[in-house]
Parts: sequence; structure tokens; C-alpha cells
Amino acid sequence: MPAPFSPSAQKQRRPDPRTKKCSFCEKQARYIDYKDYPALKPYADYFGNIRKRYYTGVCLRHQKMLRTAIERARFMGMMAYRK
Amino acid sequence: MSTLTPTSEDTRIYELCLLYPASLAQKDEQTLLKEVEEFFTEAGAKQVAKDVWGQRGLAYPIKGTMEGKIIIYYEEMDPGKIREIDQNLKIHKSVLRHLFVKPPKHYQILKYSELYEEWMKTRESVSQVRAREKEEKLKERVVKKAQRQAKVTADRAKTEAPKPGIQEDVLTEKLEKLISDENFDL
Repeated sequence: MPAPFSPSAQKQRRPDPRTKKCSFCEKQARYIDYKDYPALKPYADYFGNIRKRYYTGVCLRHQKMLRTAIERARFMGMMAYRK
Repeated sequence: MSTLTPTSEDTRIYELCLLYPASLAQKDEQTLLKEVEEFFTEAGAKQVAKDVWGQRGLAYPIKGTMEGKIIIYYEEMDPGKIREIDQNLKIHKSVLRHLFVKPPKHYQILKYSELYEEWMKTRESVSQVRAREKEEKLKERVVKKAQRQAKVTADRAKTEAPKPGIQEDVLTEKLEKLISDENFDL
């Protein structure tokens, strides 16, 4: 029987890794635009941090693009650094 | 919808995103934009496109302002002269932020207004999807209710209808038996 307050119980649940797919690869995105706020928004959490690849299923290539895009959007005041 | 390709090998296309406070007076705003365009003309840049976003809220206060205006320039120019413009913009008083970006390969210029319309469409579709789901749920409920009611009525019919039939048959049989019975006397 697991402990009621174990850290593993509080961890965010991860979708099945076999089914996870990169949403940018599905769209065949060649670049990620920092001006496209609605495209970036789901990849930042409530506090403004970039969501981990582990949870979103984005491939490494697109995650790197996403990072630069979000950082640029933050610099231009379109996204928050920290809420 | 146009991909960016420079006309000659010596030049490149750059994208400048310019953020300035929304509280600027109209005169100041006009002078600022004139000056920025002068920087480009001095550097011998050719304007490819210009996109005015207009006023929008900022995600965090920059120099005490919470609202800014954004303009995006696409300029074709000599890469050696970008430093000068960058320095000038850095020094400029009424510029909050500016960002020079070399647009990636296969980049397509999309106007903010068009993008906004697209977003609204996707949003609408989301709301429409929700409405549709609601309607489907309602329909399912109605169908289930109808089925239930049909079942109940059918059950009632089953339970009610055969009973009197059997009783009638039994009654008639009994009566016939009674009638045909010769020993029976009233």
C-alpha cells in the first residue's frame, strides 16, 4: 500500500508515452513564430514556465524552436516571465 | 502569403518588432515612426512589408506602462548596417523594446489582422464544438428517454394486455364447462 503523501502521488500524471505525438510534427511546422501567441500559450503553464517535453510530448527539435519563440515573446511583453 | 527571398546576395531580409508605449501623444508617435524609418533609409534598406498591430496589453509592466503598441517591419538591407540601427533604437527614448530577427526559411508573412481572424475562427469552432456536443448529449438524452418510455409502455401493455385475455379464456372455458355440466343444478 502506497504512503498517502508520497511525492510520486503528487506528481503530474504523464500520458502514455507510446501514444504521445509531437503536435508540431503533425502539422509539419518548419518554424515556430514568436508572434503567434495562441500557438505558444498551451506550452506555458499558469506560472509562465515552459512545459516540459516529458509532459507535452513535443519532439526535441520543436522544443528548441519553441523555447526560442517563447523567450522572444517574453522579451517583447507578449508573454509573462512569471505570474 | 509570400515567402521571403532577398533580391541580391549582399542583402538579407530582417524583421524588426518595435514596441512603444500606447500613452505617447500622436505627434510623438509620428516623429518616432518617422525617425525609425529614417534609420532604415539611411542604411539603404528596402521595405518589404509593414504590419501595424495597434494597441495591446503587456504581460508585465515595462518602464511603468502596461499597454503598448507594436509595429513590425520587414526590411531588406545590408547585414553590416544592422548594428547601427540596433544601437540607435537602444538609445531612443520612446522605444520600450525592439527585436531584430532573421525570419526562418519558408517564412510566410501573415498580417496580424488575418492571424487574429484565424484565431477567432478556431475559437468559434471550439465554441461550436461545445455547442454541438451539448446538442448531441441532449439528443442522446431525449432518445434514451423515449426508449425508456417506449419500454415502460411496452411492459405495461405486456403485463396488462394478456391478463384479461387469459382471464376471459378461462372464464369462457369455465362457463362452457358449467353450461355443459349436466349434473349442475341451480
